[in-house]
Amino acid sequence: MKSLVRTIACLAGSIALLGLSGCASLGAKPWDRGILARNTMQLDRNGVENALDDHIYFSKEASTGGRGIGGGGCGCN
Amino acid sequence: MQLNTCTVASRDTNTLRKRLMLAGCALLGATSAVHAEDTKDWQVDSAVLYYKESGGRVQAIEPVINVKHDFGDEHVLGLKFTYDSLTGGSPTGGVVATSPQTTVSPSGHSRTTIAAGDLPLDSNFKDQRFALDGNWSQPIGNDFKVALGAGFSHERDWTAATANAGVSRDFLQHNLTVNLGVSGEYDRINPVGGVPQALSNASLGLKSGNESRNGVGGQLGFTVVMSRNWLVRANFNYDRSSGYQTDPYKILSVVNADGTVANSLYESRPDKRARKSVYLESRVGLRNDDALSVSYRRMQDDWGIHSDTAEVKYHYAIDDRTYVEPHVRWYQQTAADFYQVMLHSGAAVPTFASADSRLGAFSAPTVGIKVGRTDEDGNELSVRLDYYQQTGKNVAKGPGILAPYNLYPGMKAVMLQVGWRFGL
Repeated sequence: MKSLVRTIACLAGSIALLGLSGCASLGAKPWDRGILARNTMQLDRNGVENALDDHIYFSKEASTGGRGIGGGGCGCN
Repeated sequence: MQLNTCTVASRDTNTLRKRLMLAGCALLGATSAVHAEDTKDWQVDSAVLYYKESGGRVQAIEPVINVKHDFGDEHVLGLKFTYDSLTGGSPTGGVVATSPQTTVSPSGHSRTTIAAGDLPLDSNFKDQRFALDGNWSQPIGNDFKVALGAGFSHERDWTAATANAGVSRDFLQHNLTVNLGVSGEYDRINPVGGVPQALSNASLGLKSGNESRNGVGGQLGFTVVMSRNWLVRANFNYDRSSGYQTDPYKILSVVNADGTVANSLYESRPDKRARKSVYLESRVGLRNDDALSVSYRRMQDDWGIHSDTAEVKYHYAIDDRTYVEPHVRWYQQTAADFYQVMLHSGAAVPTFASADSRLGAFSAPTVGIKVGRTDEDGNELSVRLDYYQQTGKNVAKGPGILAPYNLYPGMKAVMLQVGWRFGL
């Protein structure tokens, strides 16, 4: 648990530092988001496919989740 | 982070907002980014999955339909219905039969003979599951967005109720989104024939009553726009569950020194489990509509299981409407502290023991390909074919006549998915 907290703190700190330093190369301007607006760039675009994958792998492996939170329970594992 | 709206944060009517979005994206040269389906009031994402394991083991048919409606101003309702139909044989946890064996079904009403050299399967495995999930999301003020969800799932021997809530906020001109979520789950377990007495002799059939368990979880997530074509997501998850964690249908073989099976015991697992995981994903938009997605998940729990999952997908746009998407997934896990392929006759019986192969050490690659085509209305038809294989690692050898056999059952499966996404 300590290592997880450390990792979260490091990442949050890094992001905060990037923001505070005004890193010019990070991010995209509002008028320069054509590629980011593509359907293929939406992280949760394939919700049904991801849910089917999560269900199959959850029933065959000891791990679950990661992408999102919640969802229907299942007695398959 | 709703990037598909070109980050036009309007508070206009739904129709006007969509028109503005289309016009804005067109001006930005991103017309291909907004499919016609996105302008419809109802968006439906549906699929049917056919799953089949080799060797006469489990096969499943699972249709899913997910309906989403935007009531305007990003007030979105989502409803998902899932149905599962499962049949086939599921490994009992017993070792390979070195001579013909007779197994009794969980209900105690039917018997199956396992031929020598075969893996003991519960051939009476048959179930159906219905699940309904709903979620609602909307902005709160100018900076926050909240999401609420609930789910209910029912099958013959299992009922589950879930709930979740999350809040997210954009920072740095929408280049950073931070989200925080919590979830809860309550399960009611009614095994066929009752709950077996842990580590009791399976032939005695000591079963009674039912059980329950509950769990809570949390997630802290960051989504960062690294550049005009590069997104990175990092999620940190923690969940814990308490109550009945044992699989009521799994047994362990107690093996004599010569490799013959003395008897079989019902398995036993701890009544608590805590898991933590880190999930990282990077997505890069490339030429035309191509996109490369790479993800990695590291998970560990307090049962001693560590796992790594890596996945790579490449979305290759053949033309404006057709794409092909090859993907590869690699999974590996270590064994739970109490996992044992078998118990030895005469040795002390541990407090916890399970021969469930899903708690053993194994690696499992998946290779697959998906092909999709969008029609002139923006509706998308897709077909996906995957091949999955589990191979045991560091599997203990059996004594005597069991020595020649691989005691980890392993598994090979194919998955065929047909998807249809459309607007109404």
